[in-house]
Amino acid sequence: MAYTPQFYPGSTSVGINRRKHMSGNVEKLRDIPEADVVAIMGHRAPGADYSSTHPPLKEMGEPDCPIRQAVEPTPGAAAGDRVRYSQWTDSMYFAPSIPYFRSYWGAINCKGCDPGTLSGRQIIEARERDIEKYTKTQYDSEMTDVALCSMRGCTVHGHSLRLEENGMQFDMLARTELGNDGNVLGVKDQVGIPLDKKVNLGKPMSEAEAKKRTTIFRFDGVPMSGTVGARKPDEAVEMTHHMWELRTKWGYRPE
Amino acid sequence: MAVKHTKKLFVKALNKKFGKDFDLASQKVEYKRLGPEQNARKREFMEYAKKLEGKRGMTGYNPYVHAGGIPLGQRQLVPYKLSSTEYVVEGDDLHFVNNPAMQQFWDDIRRTIVVGLDMAHEVLQKRLGKEVTPETINNYLEILNHAMPGAAVVQEHMVETHPGLVDDCNVRVFSGDDALADEIDDQYKIDINKMFPAEQAEVLKAAIGKTTWQAIHVPTIVVRTCDGGTTSRWSAMQLCMTFIDAYNMCAGEAAVADLAYAAKHAAVLQMSDMLPARRARGPNNPGGISFGFMADMVQTSRVKPQDPAYVSLNVVAAGSMFYDQIWLGSYMSGGVGFTQYATAAYTNDVLDDFCYYGVDYANDKYGGFAKAPAAIDVAKDCATEVTLYGIEQYEAFPTLLEDHFGGSQRAAVLAAASGITSAIATGHSQIGLAAWYLSMLLHKEAWGRLGFFGYDLQDQCGPTNVFSYQSDEGNPLELRGANYPNYAMNVGHQGEYAGITSAAHAGRMDAFAVNPLIKVCFANPGLVFDWTNIRDCFGKGGAREFRAAGERSLVMPAV
Repeated sequence: MAYTPQFYPGSTSVGINRRKHMSGNVEKLRDIPEADVVAIMGHRAPGADYSSTHPPLKEMGEPDCPIRQAVEPTPGAAAGDRVRYSQWTDSMYFAPSIPYFRSYWGAINCKGCDPGTLSGRQIIEARERDIEKYTKTQYDSEMTDVALCSMRGCTVHGHSLRLEENGMQFDMLARTELGNDGNVLGVKDQVGIPLDKKVNLGKPMSEAEAKKRTTIFRFDGVPMSGTVGARKPDEAVEMTHHMWELRTKWGYRPE
Repeated sequence: MAVKHTKKLFVKALNKKFGKDFDLASQKVEYKRLGPEQNARKREFMEYAKKLEGKRGMTGYNPYVHAGGIPLGQRQLVPYKLSSTEYVVEGDDLHFVNNPAMQQFWDDIRRTIVVGLDMAHEVLQKRLGKEVTPETINNYLEILNHAMPGAAVVQEHMVETHPGLVDDCNVRVFSGDDALADEIDDQYKIDINKMFPAEQAEVLKAAIGKTTWQAIHVPTIVVRTCDGGTTSRWSAMQLCMTFIDAYNMCAGEAAVADLAYAAKHAAVLQMSDMLPARRARGPNNPGGISFGFMADMVQTSRVKPQDPAYVSLNVVAAGSMFYDQIWLGSYMSGGVGFTQYATAAYTNDVLDDFCYYGVDYANDKYGGFAKAPAAIDVAKDCATEVTLYGIEQYEAFPTLLEDHFGGSQRAAVLAAASGITSAIATGHSQIGLAAWYLSMLLHKEAWGRLGFFGYDLQDQCGPTNVFSYQSDEGNPLELRGANYPNYAMNVGHQGEYAGITSAAHAGRMDAFAVNPLIKVCFANPGLVFDWTNIRDCFGKGGAREFRAAGERSLVMPAV
């Protein structure tokens, strides 16, 4: 019988959205041109060649290695691209994705990537042409709201801060701005270097839309366990108790 | 039954920071991007840097080189209220470089050594046939309090230290033997009966028994010039010279070697263990200080034993400043960011509120302090309720959420409140530790984020070491410390572990956590830092009201 991964428990919208992110079955909401994604990433000028090994890997030859024979390389690895990154900051005020679920999405669905998870940022590193593809997928999909999520290589402070009055996530370096037409514009790259031209990232989600697509439990959205005085544990709590108890008891075993 | 505490203690601090009529619950705000000029301390820094420019002949402090010309202060730079005190200071005032009380805290530890007197007395009596009486001991202590700061005895033509530079140095003795203690001149003793509540005093005296110990605090200026490893050497030298003087010994006779051996090794209690070579420092340095010792150094348990949460919160403050800001932040990594990690645990009454909520919850459910069974079901219950309560407060008060620098602080505060609650409820530190780890997992599951990378390592695999039998990781929490395998590199944990250790014993109303000698030694009224009220003393330091020892202004031209 073929195994069907369950990914995550729970019947709430948060549980369902978490399963979507982990499985990679996410909805595409927009189509940001590849050149614009590359510009915001800031690793190479749009249209420029990739900085890959020279001479090319095929000419260099590689050591005999059973893993190399068993695993088909990603396009970036085959081309000998350098390793580059994209890093996201997702607001705690109902951003669709949150660090662990970006990481789970990457680890489960993106070959040859290295996700890293922190509280205020989430990074994925991969060969350059691979990370560009993974980044565009994230930008275009329901994992991202362009007002509540932004790419920040450094000075990431903002995920837990109150939103700006116009609904944008706080960014000390102001890498994005809300245009007069209601579209969000990217004006600086990941590390805050101004772009040659502003990039139109499209309209932000409404508050209702963000709440519908979010993966964060919150007391004013979908609470994980009710509220003070009215507890109602989600399956996520039961799962966590189960894992914690087994880890604790098995650590006790002396053998 | 304990007194119930007002909930949402943090609101007062938030009102002080943002203004009385500010909407603390709003999720949106206008960011005015006022830059560093909005903050009095940053303005002071900039003005002072300007004065220094000509003097130094080169550039220095300039916040406008930050982030490509965008300086700090794009958000509101808010001050910090030291929890349960009236002190409100700027964040910069809590960096240990700017806070002399924090420096003195560490100086008071590393300049301290506990040395037994009984072994030396046996050498004098049994080997040399000398008479040891209360009179000779008092005479010895008078000489010792002359010599220990660095003054001469026995020898001619010696140099000496200026008494004004070393006035913080002192030696007092203590004993579990009331009859002997009564014979010691008041100025030279730590009177256990006076310093501790009666029940604690009886327990301490029984644990110490008919032994006698010297609480030795060498001059602060000595350990600031050298290091903690100097303390036992400095003290042993003055002890030996004092014995020679007080008991009219021959300066070169072999018995002096026995006295030196007792003073340097056989009868010595260092404040910390040695570290492995890769983290090598001398003895009496921060990395080897166990959580149990830290819990015993802090003296809140003898002035407010009826409030175990308050006791534990003071230990958390001590430990987070010490382990995070000084040990990990400076000795181990070097940098300025660690202050932000630590302050969340002792400012703005956030951890206080979460702890008191938990303690009230546990008291209602289990019938009082240390009344719950020491079982992981209690950890599960308390950690779940406290973590969920704390998460809800962060969500309901966005100003509270952004009060912390980031997730690591939230994680430390939520898990510490869970651990302290469970340890007080059960009187068991390992149950508190189990609760800590459950809180971490629940937090991560609720918000899909936790702390920085290190939290993945330490906190997600942590439950497995709570009750582990493995020799290198199976210690009771009291005996674990900054150098415990999984704890050695991760900020935002060690101070809280010390607090959980303390909570177990405070819940049981114990007189001490792990070592009665440490508990009594730090009751010495001659210490410069106020070990009964850690947070208040840090506040004094931040408010520039604290005068530290070891200053050199007596021997330098005036500024």
